[in-house]
Amino acid sequence: MIRRTWQVLPGPLAVRVVEAVVLTALVLVALHFIYSWLGTVLLDQGGTVG
Amino acid sequence: MTETTAAIDAEQVEAAAPSSRGLRFLHNAGWTLIYLGVFTLGFVVHQLYVTSWFAQQNQSELAAERVEQWESVEITEVVVVPNQPDGTGGVVDGATGSSGDEFPEPLILKVESPPDLGAAFALIRIPKLERLDNDGWNVVEGVRTLDLRNGAGHMPDTALPGQPGNAVISGHRTTWGQPFHELDALDPGDRIEVETALGTHIYAVREVHVVKPTDVWVADPREGAWLTLTTCHPKFSARQRLVVAAELVFGPNAEVIEVMS
Repeated sequence: MIRRTWQVLPGPLAVRVVEAVVLTALVLVALHFIYSWLGTVLLDQGGTVG
Repeated sequence: MTETTAAIDAEQVEAAAPSSRGLRFLHNAGWTLIYLGVFTLGFVVHQLYVTSWFAQQNQSELAAERVEQWESVEITEVVVVPNQPDGTGGVVDGATGSSGDEFPEPLILKVESPPDLGAAFALIRIPKLERLDNDGWNVVEGVRTLDLRNGAGHMPDTALPGQPGNAVISGHRTTWGQPFHELDALDPGDRIEVETALGTHIYAVREVHVVKPTDVWVADPREGAWLTLTTCHPKFSARQRLVVAAELVFGPNAEVIEVMS
């Protein structure tokens, strides 16, 4: 999947590297929010009552 | 890439791809399981390490914020007349209130101005718990999701630590720095220290129990000065709440509150 994504990135090599870095950062941020939400729902709500 | 290499790659891909429908299904199912496994592994690493890293970073910032808050907080002195057998006595509004000749010597209750929502205003230390010994953990005002990711959260509309009533503080058990991870190790008599702009308030644990997340009665006001700590229970589950109730035994207001009760 990673290789396929790399192949569809447009532009010359230098541009593709930048695009890949930005894309990776976006994926990591998205994963952080998804994992944080999942953690709050499934594991630990912070201990509040009510 | 040359034409020959491209041709070889294409052949390899064709050869690697499953030919029959059943094999293709197994191939796709296998990759789906691998992706799910990587996602789950990422979730575990995120919850155990990444959230704690963020919480530690937040704690450093909150410590500085708390010191600033302590310098700017307004402290009011309230005159308290000890309760009398005939029902008289209580709080006399204002620092210059007088009890009159018929009352015993008035006492001074120190009251700090309420902190802003989300602001760090206290530090909690529990000597028995390694995680909360020494440096302690900063307490912020509020129990919203973001507040609790920064530090332990003081429930608004409950008493502030060191004040008469019931001060409720909640904290994460297994993620976001897990400040209350070992809270179940506390026994009656153990000491909890909460430092605010007024000074250090020392509480002694009186009760430890497990309740439902909807049991809001644990936050009800109580006579005297109490500290109620709540966290998720059991570990890695939000099914119940572990509640530790502690009574104020020493601090800037302890003597006054004891007389008021």
